[in-house]
Amino acid sequence: MVALLAGIFLGWSLGANDASNVFGSAVASRMLKFWTAAILASLFVLIGALLQGHAGIETLKDLTRLDLEQAAICSVSAALTVTMMTVLALPVSTSQAVVGGILGMGLLNRQLDLEGLGKVVLCWFGTPIGGVVIAVLLYKALGGIYNYLRMNLFQSDGVLRIALIIAGAYAAYALGANNVANVTAVFVGAGQLSAFAALLVGGLSIGLGILTYSRRVMETVGRRLVRLDPFSALVVVLAEAITVHIYAFIGVPVSTSQAVVGAVLGVGIVKGIETVKKRTLLNILVGWFFTPLVATLIAMGLYVVIHLRYMPY
Amino acid sequence: MGVQEDPLFGFFFKKQRQIEALIDSYLENLRMTQQRFSEALELCLDHTANGTFTFLTEQTHKFESRADDIREEITTLMYSKALLPESREDIMTLLEEVDAIPRIFERVLYMIKMQKLSIPDSIVPDINKLVSISLACFDLMLEQVESLSKRSGNIRALVATIDRNESECDHIERRIITKIFDSDLEPFLKIQLKELISCVGEISDQADRVSKRVNIISMKRRV
Repeated sequence: MVALLAGIFLGWSLGANDASNVFGSAVASRMLKFWTAAILASLFVLIGALLQGHAGIETLKDLTRLDLEQAAICSVSAALTVTMMTVLALPVSTSQAVVGGILGMGLLNRQLDLEGLGKVVLCWFGTPIGGVVIAVLLYKALGGIYNYLRMNLFQSDGVLRIALIIAGAYAAYALGANNVANVTAVFVGAGQLSAFAALLVGGLSIGLGILTYSRRVMETVGRRLVRLDPFSALVVVLAEAITVHIYAFIGVPVSTSQAVVGAVLGVGIVKGIETVKKRTLLNILVGWFFTPLVATLIAMGLYVVIHLRYMPY
Repeated sequence: MGVQEDPLFGFFFKKQRQIEALIDSYLENLRMTQQRFSEALELCLDHTANGTFTFLTEQTHKFESRADDIREEITTLMYSKALLPESREDIMTLLEEVDAIPRIFERVLYMIKMQKLSIPDSIVPDINKLVSISLACFDLMLEQVESLSKRSGNIRALVATIDRNESECDHIERRIITKIFDSDLEPFLKIQLKELISCVGEISDQADRVSKRVNIISMKRRV
């Protein structure tokens, strides 16, 4: 149970951080009350986790064989990495941190599913690229429909508001389906939890993070999206949701933040404007490279420290 | 069936509908202001300004104040999470700019009333023309603002017409001022009349500014 707390803590911090990518624009623009957004997000995260989270759990649990202690070390190292990178103000992916932790244990165990790891790393590359491509396609397709409808100011406003709420709920569903594996997959691998229990505990802990600690992040990060026009903000949330949902089908947990950045870039490409500063892109690249590396080192370090024994001469 | 009439979305669009109704009422109020202004000015140009002129001037002031109240109501409602921030800002800015016109109406009438201005016959036909084209600009501008919420008219075509009318008003304004300073009127009266003509000329200038703003708001909603 104590070991599981590390996973629940990780889920809590994931919920607190990633909810902003889902309902940030709606809350920051005050079109939706925080509590309405938080309850909707938590509910859809849980539904997503329960209905489609199993594929990710299968992938992560098979990366290496872990005992309960190693599973807890994975969660703690991921949580520490996420905290450290957040303190350093570098964009961080919980998914990469968890895989980094698993990788650390796998290296120590000298047992790694390289094929599975390759698939995961490939998906890491694919997340921002997917965000860009889907955002470009969505912008063109939805833009065509939007222009064709020739709505007046109030109709356009109303449709965009409803669409942003629906897109937010879908993005929450995709977040739950994709990211629940980060939280509890290692405990399934260690035989501590059944797949269903892992999905339930993971979904609930992410939901708890959204309900208890996402307000500030949602409002501050959401403002960045609100700087985009409402239609672009809708495209970004939808593109992020679709990208993350695709990876939920593939069974690889990915970063919603990276999908968002990709989508914002995509919107910039269509509109011919710079939507993401070069500095931000550089930070993402640094975070992208260092997150799994740091998590791997922390996991290995923690394991070594825990197993240090006093040997009297 | 339009999005707003759909009962499924009725709950979500309640405040939005209230804002639309308030904007309609605001525009209607502006039409009443314009009507009182036009009638008062007509009396003045016919040199028949009397108690009715004072009454119409007060009516113009009353409707102008009422327009301010409605605008305030719209602002309050908008900030109670009724619209997207971008739409709120657009509507706020637009109404502020529209609101400058009834203030001009009021200023013109009070100028005539307080300074006891008598318009010389030599410039009355030109002033009549200036007022008529300026008020036509104002009408077209109201139509344009309405089409933002109704999508009925062609906003771009209206921009062009208002722009043309505004240029014509500028020509007439310059012509009248030249006439005033070419005349034998007292220098003090010349300055007073010049100020009055410039003030009337501001109606079309402001209508043109609003018209361009409406066009931008409309274009922003094209992807």
